Amino acid sequence: MKASLLGVIDATTYFDSMEELLTHRCLAAVPFAGRYRLIDFILSNMVNSGIESVAIFPRFQFRSLMDHLGSGKEWDLNRKRDGLFFFPSPGLEVMEEGIGSFSHFAHHMDYFDRSQQQYALISNCFTVFNMNFEPILNRFINENCDIMMISHHGQSMDMYLVKKSLLVQLIQTRKITGYRCMQDVVEDQNSRLTICLYEYEGFVKKITSIASYYQASMDVLERDNWSALFKDGQPIFTKVKDEPPTKYTKSAIVKNSIIANGCVIEGTVENSVIFRGVKIEKGTVIKNSIIMQKSQIGKDCHLNGVIVDKNGQIKNGVSLEARNGFPIVLPKGAKQGELMKS
Amino acid sequence: MGVLTQYQPLVLNSYIGIGSAWDLDRKNGGVTVLPPYSESSTMKWYSGTASAVYQNLNYLRQYDPEYVLILSGDHIYKMDYCQMLEFHIEKGAEATISVIEVPLKEASRFGIMNTNEKMEITEFEEKPKIPKSNLASMGIYIFNWDLLQDCLEKDNQDPLSSHDFGKDIIPTLLRKRRRLYAYPFSGYWKDVGTVQSLWEANMDLLEEECGLNIFDQSWRIYSVNPNQPPQSIGEHAVIQDSLVNEGCVVDGYIHHSVLFQGVVVDEESYIKDSVILPNTKIGKYCTIERAIITCDLPEHTEIRGYDLMEIPLVTQDNLHQWIA
Repeated sequence: MKASLLGVIDATTYFDSMEELLTHRCLAAVPFAGRYRLIDFILSNMVNSGIESVAIFPRFQFRSLMDHLGSGKEWDLNRKRDGLFFFPSPGLEVMEEGIGSFSHFAHHMDYFDRSQQQYALISNCFTVFNMNFEPILNRFINENCDIMMISHHGQSMDMYLVKKSLLVQLIQTRKITGYRCMQDVVEDQNSRLTICLYEYEGFVKKITSIASYYQASMDVLERDNWSALFKDGQPIFTKVKDEPPTKYTKSAIVKNSIIANGCVIEGTVENSVIFRGVKIEKGTVIKNSIIMQKSQIGKDCHLNGVIVDKNGQIKNGVSLEARNGFPIVLPKGAKQGELMKS
Repeated sequence: MGVLTQYQPLVLNSYIGIGSAWDLDRKNGGVTVLPPYSESSTMKWYSGTASAVYQNLNYLRQYDPEYVLILSGDHIYKMDYCQMLEFHIEKGAEATISVIEVPLKEASRFGIMNTNEKMEITEFEEKPKIPKSNLASMGIYIFNWDLLQDCLEKDNQDPLSSHDFGKDIIPTLLRKRRRLYAYPFSGYWKDVGTVQSLWEANMDLLEEECGLNIFDQSWRIYSVNPNQPPQSIGEHAVIQDSLVNEGCVVDGYIHHSVLFQGVVVDEESYIKDSVILPNTKIGKYCTIERAIITCDLPEHTEIRGYDLMEIPLVTQDNLHQWIA
């Protein structure tokens, strides 16, 4: 029964409110929690729930996503049968249609027709959580549902379980019914379908803006949340880099932080998320910040409430402090402190 | 690449797998694990380094190589073997042995190569009382394939041989006046065949100028990555002068130590000058100094390696000695 579920990930979403982190990558490839990309969470949950065939529907800037996922090896999805599939959107027409656009699916009907699985799980790509879908499928079958909506605190998680035959029918009849996506179907008051609801109690963070990205990152610093996200037996998989361990020098002071591998920490780090291969030099104090992979922070800097995107370079003595609780974002490859010298 | 294994092969076999972690899962070549095997009626264990290679000559024959590089699995160093091979070819050597300069006063602990000015080896002395040079063999050999086949077959016939490259093969070749050269290597090199030296090698990594740069992007040390979450460092944790790997959850004090992946150090525990092996949980109020820990430690465990002659290796089997 395990293998009877298809995984469908809608990776087309773009939020204007996250623009600064999306100039070089799609939402699914946004780095999170020191070593992951947002898509790692849904993809790992699917694999941990026994799903063996996953289709990803990307749209914007998906080079970084392709690079990250590769053949799907890290998720054990490099298979002869089933495995990982990419179905980019063929047209450039705007499709503001909610999660799981039927017209996008319609371009790739073969996937749904050929697969043997009886059910499909349709999900967004921007939720940080660690959830096993097996109990949900069991309830779906026991309660004889047509569609099951997954919610958290009474709000839709933009995740739906659906009979595959029904999904195929919904895609094919979209022009007659007017349904553009799963949300349209479940919100139709006149629908004769059996729509069930599954309330999920665990740790869930939707990343829909810079503010929610920052807050979710800070939330993961709390040990209870960390444990809820990184459970024994349900690992979150990601593309592995061969980084050495992180080096803490004699002058390092690190408190309440998440630190990835390959870093060299000579300064002070508090309440922060430090990604892979970051260098933090002596005399620097970093608080309430997110420093993404390969960024280099010079000596005697002071950063508070700052998101430094990948490959950021901050020269000696730079001071940046967020105002009104809204984080300062330094875009990918940004250089800070150059102008001050000249 | 063939990996010769003998004792307790399970961990190594599953670690190497098909070699994917090192990009060795290839159609041609790749990595092959070569354990001892039984031949008709008799089980032939590898009695020495040379016998291990001798028993796998068939593996080498299928590749019909020009040169064969023979290495030890328990040495820590970074070396470009291409440069050694170039040296071997340039010198017209039949066999080349990599050597490293050691302090003369320590030379009597090593196999010492005496050479002429062209680096041709004139004499090999195993642990000489009065060393004539400070060039120690690193146990790294390049052989011309025909010479290797020939000398291994002859060595196998010799009932007095212990079938070891250092003890038997090299001295025999020198007696026969074959062209053996010493390739001088400079850089970090450490044989970690003992608990003491394994501990030392880990401590060496904490030195500013240890010579083994594990952070060099152009010469990465590949490894099987266990897919652990990032480190979670607690509110009251202190970590200084240490290396900490993925999946660690640290709430205690870590000074001048190496923590492997998935190590948990609970609050009020103190770790100094120690090596904590993977997936080990150190309970509250523990004190660990100068030790290697391989198993979970209950609360209030005290291991003070400074009071001991040897570095303690704490395992599940001897843990009871440490708990009051």
